[in-house]
Amino acid sequence: MIKKISFLLLLGSLSTSCVAVKEYEKVYINDPDMLLADKKSNRFVTSFQVYREAASGANGGKSGGGCGCN
Amino acid sequence: MEENQAEGVVVINKEERMKKIIVLVALFIPFIGFSQTTTNEYKKRVLETAEVDIVTSFYSQDGDNASVTGGIGTEKLTDLATSFTVSIPLNDDDILSVDATISAYTSASSSNLDPFDVSGASGDDDDDDDDDDRSSNFTKSTATNVASPWVESSGASKGDVWKSLNISYSHSSDDRNTILGANASFASEYDYTSIGFGGSFAKLFNEKNTELSLKANIYLDSWSPAYPTELDSYLDDNQNLNDGHFEGIDILDQNGDIINKTGTTVWSPLKNKLIDETSRNTYSVSVSFSQILSKKSQLSLFFDLIQQDGWLGNPMQRVYFSDRDNYYVGNASSIPNYTSSSNDDVFQLADDIERLPNSRLKLPIGARFNQYINEKVTLRTYYRYYYDDWGINSHTVNIELPVKISDSFTFYPSYRYYTQTAADYFAPFEQHTSTEEFYTSDYDLSEFNANQFGVGFSYTDIFAKRHIWKLGLKSIDLKYDYYERNTGLNAGIISAGFKFVMD
Repeated sequence: MIKKISFLLLLGSLSTSCVAVKEYEKVYINDPDMLLADKKSNRFVTSFQVYREAASGANGGKSGGGCGCN
Repeated sequence: MEENQAEGVVVINKEERMKKIIVLVALFIPFIGFSQTTTNEYKKRVLETAEVDIVTSFYSQDGDNASVTGGIGTEKLTDLATSFTVSIPLNDDDILSVDATISAYTSASSSNLDPFDVSGASGDDDDDDDDDDRSSNFTKSTATNVASPWVESSGASKGDVWKSLNISYSHSSDDRNTILGANASFASEYDYTSIGFGGSFAKLFNEKNTELSLKANIYLDSWSPAYPTELDSYLDDNQNLNDGHFEGIDILDQNGDIINKTGTTVWSPLKNKLIDETSRNTYSVSVSFSQILSKKSQLSLFFDLIQQDGWLGNPMQRVYFSDRDNYYVGNASSIPNYTSSSNDDVFQLADDIERLPNSRLKLPIGARFNQYINEKVTLRTYYRYYYDDWGINSHTVNIELPVKISDSFTFYPSYRYYTQTAADYFAPFEQHTSTEEFYTSDYDLSEFNANQFGVGFSYTDIFAKRHIWKLGLKSIDLKYDYYERNTGLNAGIISAGFKFVMD
């Protein structure tokens, strides 16, 4: 567990050393399919997964509470 | 001489003071220039115009491990859900969002909270206990003794409606590098109510290539518990098997023989108290980190810490113990065939409801990585590792490959793999023993893996030319997902999303 977290943090810190992409160079990054989040239309798919599976969270959305689910 | 020296000192002091002032002014010039630049700079609105998102879905599932009937029985369930989200720009910097969601389900499993067919149930809770008599709202004259975990009952618990309202507010700084947010929510269903609130803080830096955000939420939830009908009735009627639900109904032993209800060997629940706490509180903290890696790739990492306290089991879910005698209501000849789906007329009386610890710590950590491959294809990936202190470890992998068919249409196939270990407290039907402190036969907490396949289409009109009233249609998403897990449960969900912008 600790190794996995350390690896991800290391990956994160390494990524900050990349050369910054300028605003005018973000045409690909700003493509709607590049969004670092689930599509809004996927919300009920995520919702049934939260009901049917023990795991939840770590996806930028809700991580528990609000329903009689897990 | 001394005067000249004094004058000299004064002159030197003045020079030093001037130097200091010049240095200070020099130091502040860039900031003055910066502040002038920022105040004169054109400030783009965070949200140009009001937006409306409508998402609707139809979900259907089937399986053979219903938790309400102790890990066997039909899991047929359908759910129709719709949400409306309106985002309104209050000014250049602030956005108010209101989200209303309604989700209506019918469930064969839930219907078997009271498995005995009941028609014309009133639903009135006119006794003096503190539970919702949803499971035992029958009258003696309408109750029958024909029931099975494999047959859907027509009782009140066969369906429910979950409603929620969520209001959120966000404020962006002038340079758009700091975003503050707050939210409040309310949700309710027949046996569950939730109040939630939270806040968020996000900071962008490195020319908006890097984002660090922190979110915290609290949910103060409470049960209005509904219990399996035989347990509820037994305790409501002072443990009298000749009164209430059991009046005039024969109870059978494992051999199919009718027991003497006033004898010494009779059915009784393991415990005389069902649920002693109705609250369930959830506290969560989420940290996320996003980084643009190149002109065509970006990554985000998520780490959540979730603590839950209170009644974390579901009071509707039965448990049967292997070290206690079995008792039934119904057709004696079907008892040997009890766990088969061909059993349609005998029902085993529960030993207890599921019992789980009143605390749970969850630690999910996830990562997204998106790569713009070319003008037609984008790769979207997601991985999550999950740990909790109930003994569950899980891995989730998701991959999506949006393919642009034209300027307006995108086809996006997806695949998701999920696997989890069992909770320490899980065992299948009739495999728990009554000496255990915690127990559940809910297969959502069992060991399993699942595959999910999806296909979707999206239509985008950046100019929102098509109109309904004052709303311009910006995009439509349609998607179908098929979900199958190795416990036998399978499900399908059709989702549709519509995005409108206000003229």
